[in-house]
Amino acid sequence: MSTEELIAIEADKTVDARGTACPGPLLEAKKAIGTISSGQIMEVLSADEGTKRDIPKWANKKGHEYLGTIEESGYFKIYLKKG
Amino acid sequence: MTMALFSGSIDKLTGAGVILSGAAADDMDIDVYVLLMAARAFVKGNENKIDGLSEYPELKEEFLNSLETLKVSTWIEFFGMAKELTNVKIHICSLAGKMWGGEKMEDFIDLADDICGIGEYITSAQEADVHLFI
Repeated sequence: MSTEELIAIEADKTVDARGTACPGPLLEAKKAIGTISSGQIMEVLSADEGTKRDIPKWANKKGHEYLGTIEESGYFKIYLKKG
Repeated sequence: MTMALFSGSIDKLTGAGVILSGAAADDMDIDVYVLLMAARAFVKGNENKIDGLSEYPELKEEFLNSLETLKVSTWIEFFGMAKELTNVKIHICSLAGKMWGGEKMEDFIDLADDICGIGEYITSAQEADVHLFI
């Protein structure tokens, strides 16, 4: 998915995990994805560098679709579609 | 996953908690066997007395300050989160418990599920696809 397409996404759920270090963002994502329905989109905000690789791998393994990541100033946004 | 948790120092308990919560996010079934030194941390009243380091004890203040600065959860919080997310059972070795004054379930913090013997740990380790000793 292109950056423009990612920017245009209106997420069904936003998880702001910028205040936590690894594995905090992954745990927050794991908890939050249980609250949305299949096909809905979740946005995870994180300032932890390891999360950029961790969450896409976790999502693919658990049957969710990793849509992409947007870099912001001091943090990034990871987009997932629940499988 | 089976984890033999032997160490009772805050660095290794924190590391165990990070691994445990990562495995829990992956929906793994996890059995933790609390062995000799680790059992001290699970006896009621001791949980906040655990602050020694196994590795580089001279760096204790730096380690604890970094945990606080980075807002890292405590080892008890990690264990608790893992139990919320998936099937995590925490078994206290009966010998280890007795060494630190814990003989019955009420002697241990709420994270503990049962008291067991070493045979159960060996069987669990044989059957697990991932086996860690910390």
